[in-house]
Amino acid sequence: MKLREGNGHRRLPMLMLALIAAIGLVAAACSSTTPKSTASTATISTSTKGSITFWTWVKDMDKEVALFNKKYPNIKVNVVNAGQGSDEYKKLQTALKAGKGAPDVAQIEYQYVPTFTITNSLLDLAPYGASALQAKFVDWAWGQVAKDGKVFAIPQDTGPMGMLYRQDLFDKYGIAVPKTWDEFAAAAKTLHDKDPKVYLTDLPPNEPGAYVGLEWQAGARPFDVQKTDTVGVSLNDTAAKKVSAYWSGLVKDGTVATDPDFTDAWYQGLASGKYATWLTAAWGPLFLQGTAKATAGKWRVAPLPQWSAGEQAAGNWGGSTTAVTKQTKQPAAAAAFAMFLNSDPQSAALLNTDQSLFPATKALLNDPTFLGQKLDFYGGQTVNQTFADVSSTVVTSFQWSPFQDYVFSEFNDTVGAAFTKKGDLDAALDSWQGAVVKYAKEQGFTVP
Amino acid sequence: MASSADTLVTAPPAALPRRRKGPRRKARRGRAGYLFVAPFLLFFAAAFIAPLAYAAYTSLFRTRLVGGTVFAGLQNYREVLHDQAFRDGVLRMARFLVTQVPIMLVLAVAFALAIDSGRLWGPRFVRLSIFLPYAVPSAVAALMWGYLYGPSFGPITQLADNLGVTAPNLLSGGWMLPSIANIVTWEFVGYNMIIFYAVLRAIPAELYEAAAVDGAGPVRVAVHIKLPALRPALGLTAIFSIIGTFQLFTEPSIMHTVAPNVINRSYTPSLYAYNLAFTDQRLNYAAALSFAMGAVIVIVTAAFVLVFSRRRARS
Amino acid sequence: MRPAATMSAQRAAPTVRINLLAVLRRRSVPLTIAMFVCVAYFLLPLLWLVIASTKSDSGLFNTFGYSVQTRDFQLWHNVRQVFSYGDGQFVRWLVNTVFYAVASAGGAAVLATAGGYGFAKFDFVGKRAAFAVVVVSIMVPGIALTIPSYLLFAKLGIVNTPLSIILPSLVSPFGIYLMRVYAADAIDDSLLEAARIDGAGEVRIFFQIALRLLAPGVVTVVLFTLVATWNNYFLPFIMLNDPSLFPVTVGLAQWNAQASGGGGAEAVFSLVITGSLISVLPLAVAFLLLQRYWQSGLSAGSVKT
Repeated sequence: MKLREGNGHRRLPMLMLALIAAIGLVAAACSSTTPKSTASTATISTSTKGSITFWTWVKDMDKEVALFNKKYPNIKVNVVNAGQGSDEYKKLQTALKAGKGAPDVAQIEYQYVPTFTITNSLLDLAPYGASALQAKFVDWAWGQVAKDGKVFAIPQDTGPMGMLYRQDLFDKYGIAVPKTWDEFAAAAKTLHDKDPKVYLTDLPPNEPGAYVGLEWQAGARPFDVQKTDTVGVSLNDTAAKKVSAYWSGLVKDGTVATDPDFTDAWYQGLASGKYATWLTAAWGPLFLQGTAKATAGKWRVAPLPQWSAGEQAAGNWGGSTTAVTKQTKQPAAAAAFAMFLNSDPQSAALLNTDQSLFPATKALLNDPTFLGQKLDFYGGQTVNQTFADVSSTVVTSFQWSPFQDYVFSEFNDTVGAAFTKKGDLDAALDSWQGAVVKYAKEQGFTVP
Repeated sequence: MASSADTLVTAPPAALPRRRKGPRRKARRGRAGYLFVAPFLLFFAAAFIAPLAYAAYTSLFRTRLVGGTVFAGLQNYREVLHDQAFRDGVLRMARFLVTQVPIMLVLAVAFALAIDSGRLWGPRFVRLSIFLPYAVPSAVAALMWGYLYGPSFGPITQLADNLGVTAPNLLSGGWMLPSIANIVTWEFVGYNMIIFYAVLRAIPAELYEAAAVDGAGPVRVAVHIKLPALRPALGLTAIFSIIGTFQLFTEPSIMHTVAPNVINRSYTPSLYAYNLAFTDQRLNYAAALSFAMGAVIVIVTAAFVLVFSRRRARS
Repeated sequence: MRPAATMSAQRAAPTVRINLLAVLRRRSVPLTIAMFVCVAYFLLPLLWLVIASTKSDSGLFNTFGYSVQTRDFQLWHNVRQVFSYGDGQFVRWLVNTVFYAVASAGGAAVLATAGGYGFAKFDFVGKRAAFAVVVVSIMVPGIALTIPSYLLFAKLGIVNTPLSIILPSLVSPFGIYLMRVYAADAIDDSLLEAARIDGAGEVRIFFQIALRLLAPGVVTVVLFTLVATWNNYFLPFIMLNDPSLFPVTVGLAQWNAQASGGGGAEAVFSLVITGSLISVLPLAVAFLLLQRYWQSGLSAGSVKT
């Protein structure tokens, strides 16, 4: 079929027109949009009107929002669950990059705060009165959110690590509560020999937060971020190697399970007594209570085993903060909300009782009612007291990288994969180190 | 359907001016073509060309956390060529392709032939049952099969336990790819079968009558009439299956929640591109990788078309 | 292009039916048994889904997958839970899914039909090139498009809106390919010529003549796009942040993900399972009721190809 050009005019083919339209569209979209940071340091009053969006995956925040609205009735808070953890961070990062679509306030776990401060995406809350809140929060948590007089987020909850164990299984197999890691290894062997279907604990290959928490306890310092363009990476330092050698032994002997956590199989394992302990954070007890109802009364709480007898050290796993993004059009209202949510005594108490979050405020951690709470699920033990004591032993100088999402995802493929395959954890740790250093250099960091 | 056309044809031509079938008429007709394709092409430009152009543009740069955005030319593409993870993902998809697609298409042909043979009781029920999984969204199918495979309340493991046998861990490293292949086959055999069945139903009766005259049995009819008729449709479905395979994302992504260490970051090229873009925040490299993936798809499809048409020409 | 083929296909139906009657006596039991075994493979997972939806979480873990627990029949409880969880999120998700699917299918059909007709029946400069580009675009991997689309839409401010889902779904290269082939085959040039001689305008010709002939193809494109958008996971997963805009696929995946994640996680298996069952029902029912249209549409479409 021959194409004919008619009447001597050159007609633009449809395709050309379409292409031009497309290029025009691209050009329009590519114009740079810088995030607006209206530097208004005005504090809001009870009559201030506004509407802010809050991204959080913690459920049922309406009571806390209602409390906030009692003080500021005209600020509407729109609570949105934009995904859990990593899913939310991905969306947040892309929205911040695109210049549009980020919420005013967002839940960000401690380990991801540097990811957002390095791109200068979080609003400094100091001008809005946040510095005054320092005394209210535990020191190490404050250290994670504040630097050089700037406050980038307000701590919400913490996750000091402890050990939940099945008293009935310990009694049945004659195991004493291990106080050191050596005792723990011995107990693991004894238990598994007596009943091959039971493991002392599960070491999840997909939970870098928990594993790094254990390294934290051992004194590992994987990241050293002193300047914005320099990141020291030592994922395979002596302490980390000590931890990996230890767990390597247990995994190779088959005395601990290596099932991924928070899967249906894992829930089943907890409920059926496949795992005799759960090395978890302070939000663990209430979570377990909700999911393994059939085992009520059989669990107890203890601090983590220690590397040397008599030592008292702990690591932290998880815990979130509330931060304000620079894309907000209502900085004062957003800042007020973030600060209120986590520091107002009533709101903070609700976060603990309703959402099972372990407090970050000194007030609650010293509150006799909170500490004296006896949980039947744990045989009437004062669980909060145990974790509060642990909380004070969490080492303060731990730092996270500005690309933690990458670090954790690479963990799954290197160290985590080694757990599952019962391979060499030491080598896996080195692979992890290598990959992260390569990534850091690619991103323009100087890695000393 | 024929009535309106008939009335137009039978309308008396008397009142018309003399026909002018010159270039002007044809040109006007040609121009009307623009009118009809314009809406589609406009949206096509907005939804396809614009993003692709933007992706191509992005792939020529590098954005780093320290140092901002710099022009990088073809550096990203050079990196893709050396990327072991990308290569592994592509090879994995190639393995998937040469096993799952033939099995699925052979099953689809077999089912279509069986239903068309007229020797089944309840052919409509059979047809519908096999097609039904296509109504299940692939995300839901993956979730469902994830539970079925799972060791805690999956019936496969339950049955094995009852029989005293240890069920293979269908979510483990060695089994994951076949397990995913099974899900994809389950979902799409019916869809392909319906296409083949439609082709079979449209075979002209004369061919069957001629075969009956020749005394051909059902097997000969199948081999000499039905299968050749299916050839073009087979080619088309194969091409779409090739394209679909390389783009596999949903099933591995859902499986990642049940087997987080088996499905690694770069299990399939699509998953890798997604992680590069959103976890690593390396959008430029992800864009280059996506184009590389597109190139792989084009090459494999082209190769298939060449081989397929050559074999057709020979036979 | 080949009207004879169309007519003989129509003729084939009654003749083949007569053949069938003759063959009825020769129905094969072994073949039927073999096919029913295959049917079991396709239906058993769905049966599991139905039965699992009648169980509570503990029932799931402690009873055999295919045993129905009449004493602990939790189906209504589970269904109620699905519809009430998260302030009735699920209902919103269903509504969203229907909205996205119908809008996309309708729009895509309009664009593909008009476009296919234009490509098939008209000659214009750039036609070959444009069509080639469209066909090649079928091979473009979804990921290559969706992520840059996300960034572009973000800059335009339409990300996280229904438009970000519908706009990309309106463009169906496969649809226009199908419609072009169908239009070329089903519409006789002579019909169009005659109409033009009568002085009818192109638009009028399209609506009064062409559309009726194209109807089965249009139905195919509508059904195809409807299913594709209904089942789409990747596009809404990337584009949407706000759960109230999710379609059912993304919503269910989020419920599933909620079970994994420390601090705020909860096990919601029976919710995900029952939700999955409910999400499958609308399309399954539609398939059953609209079999006839599927059949004729796909046969018309694929045969022409």
